[in-house]
Amino acid sequence: MADPLPLRVEGLAVRTRDGRRIVEVPRLDVPAGGTLAVTGPSGAGKSSLLHALAGLLRPSEGRVLWGGTDLAALPEAARARFRREQIGLVFQDFLLFDELGAVGNAAIAAAFAPSRERAAIRSQAEGWLGQLGLGGRAEPSVRTYSGGERQRVAVARALAHSPAIVLADEPTASLDRASADCLIDNLLAVVAGEGCTLIAVTHDAGLARRLGRELRLADGRVMESALG
Amino acid sequence: MAASWSPRLADLWLALPVGAQDALVALALLVPGLLVGVFAVRGFRPWPLARAMLWRFRGANAVFVALIAVTMALGAGLTAQERALRQGSARAAERFDLILGAPGSEVSLVLAAVYLQPMDLPLLPGSVYAEVAADPEVDFAAPIAFGDSVDGAPVVGTTAEFVAHLAGDLAEGRMFAAHEEAVAGAYAPVRLGDALEPAHGQGEAAEHGGHGGTTYAVVGRMTPTGSPWDRAILVPVEAVWKIHAFPTGHSPERAEQIGPPFDPEWLPGTPAILVRADQVWANYALKDRYTRTDVMGVFPGTVLAGLYGLLREVREAMSLMALITQGLVVVAVLAGLTLLVRVFARGLALLRALGAPRRFVLAVVWSYAAALVGLGAALGLGLAWIVATLLSRIVTARTEVLVTARIGWTEAQLVAGFASLALLLALLPAILAGRRPPLEDLRA
Repeated sequence: MADPLPLRVEGLAVRTRDGRRIVEVPRLDVPAGGTLAVTGPSGAGKSSLLHALAGLLRPSEGRVLWGGTDLAALPEAARARFRREQIGLVFQDFLLFDELGAVGNAAIAAAFAPSRERAAIRSQAEGWLGQLGLGGRAEPSVRTYSGGERQRVAVARALAHSPAIVLADEPTASLDRASADCLIDNLLAVVAGEGCTLIAVTHDAGLARRLGRELRLADGRVMESALG
Repeated sequence: MAASWSPRLADLWLALPVGAQDALVALALLVPGLLVGVFAVRGFRPWPLARAMLWRFRGANAVFVALIAVTMALGAGLTAQERALRQGSARAAERFDLILGAPGSEVSLVLAAVYLQPMDLPLLPGSVYAEVAADPEVDFAAPIAFGDSVDGAPVVGTTAEFVAHLAGDLAEGRMFAAHEEAVAGAYAPVRLGDALEPAHGQGEAAEHGGHGGTTYAVVGRMTPTGSPWDRAILVPVEAVWKIHAFPTGHSPERAEQIGPPFDPEWLPGTPAILVRADQVWANYALKDRYTRTDVMGVFPGTVLAGLYGLLREVREAMSLMALITQGLVVVAVLAGLTLLVRVFARGLALLRALGAPRRFVLAVVWSYAAALVGLGAALGLGLAWIVATLLSRIVTARTEVLVTARIGWTEAQLVAGFASLALLLALLPAILAGRRPPLEDLRA
């Protein structure tokens, strides 16, 4: 696993083309290997913040520093490379390819990674699937998997390339309570074991509580941060 | 230095067998499309995702592949069939060096004499035949006579010499030696020993019983010639004249004689005289000599070349239509692919979100399109072979000219060129897919 990276956000502002505020975060610090829940009502700008932290969205102002790298200042190709090397993403809707099996989905990064890294990514993907209780599944497609199983495949995908950072956007939103609790246990155990920096956007109070630190947004602004 | 390479390359090229040259041309046509693939896919493994797209849109993909295959088959099949028809018709006329007929339509003369098409031809008087037969540069001059048929097969009167020249040694039996004997073409619907009663005329207008019960006994069968003569019944020309109440070409004392020499004053008119010179070059002299007000000389090859010239214009028009159709199909398929890529946009956006470079998305979409083009091209060649084979059988049955269309290097080059162009154009939807902003598609 890559060395964990701390996060520093300075003067971040994401605005629409006509200048309307989507989200503003004057200052945010997350230590390397730390965890953070981003909470708030719908439309608060939580996902936009996460996308800016992932380099999927270029902020109108400010800096997003992962270690020494200001992601906000990088061109699109460099941000993509940073994501490929350092960031694992987990989405609310799982976003798996139904035509591929568990290993095919979890090791998808091998398809566009340098050839010298492909075997390691595939091996890691198989390892994470095993740790998440999906080892040895022979189905050619994940189409028959339950929501909880699909999200675990997505978590294995996020970790297969040994990232330093895991960003999760509502990872339990599509799951029933039991599956959600199971996923939280798995995710936190894995992240703690690997020392990844984990930031999750969530409405799930249970997840937010277990992550310890919380940044509460409303109407695109920081309302409250419990970063102790 | 560079100038010295050109002649060497030219020599090297000329030293290659024709098949190798054709193969290299086909490969050269394919290279641009393949190079695009190398550029697009280099360093990546897009195939599992391209396969996912092939499976997800399998219904639409099947339609795309079928469209590409059919349009390629039409183009390739048309080219192959036209070439086969030219080759078949030329082969059928190979044994006819020079044909003499009464002044009129050269095309009708060739169609009647070579391809045994029912034609109303004016007759050459016996004096002309006598002059030709006595010409020192003529090896043989065979009069022919038409007018009857047996079960749709034309009965053609000629000489044994011409039959031997046309088809060589007989496949079975022996040559006719009497007025009542016949030699069947290789595929004539008769058997050795059959007694044939000719009908007067041909086709639906044939008049059965019009010759008072006269019959021919089949005593031999020719080897195949690849021409309508394979379905004909060949009899002594004297027999045809006799059955139509004309003199037999011989004086009454030699009325039962078969073959030359003929007696000019007893020769009825003949629609055509098939002439062979004793030297190849002499054919040109004979043609000049017998092209005048009372007779015309025709090289079947020259007439065919003129017909091919006319057909070439038709073929070029049809080829242009085929090209336009292929172009429209490519546009339609690419437009369809662009729409399907938008359906798959969320998956492609996910790849970008996971850190895949734009070129990987291009590689996935291009590989998907290339698979469709490749499948369509391969299927198209196979379909072209089927189409060409079926058309050959139909044309052979209708014209009685042996036409065997083969999918050759010309068709392979056509398909290679089309596929290469399609692979180049497939970059368009691939580039468009790579340029889509990933966040919008992720949120969709």
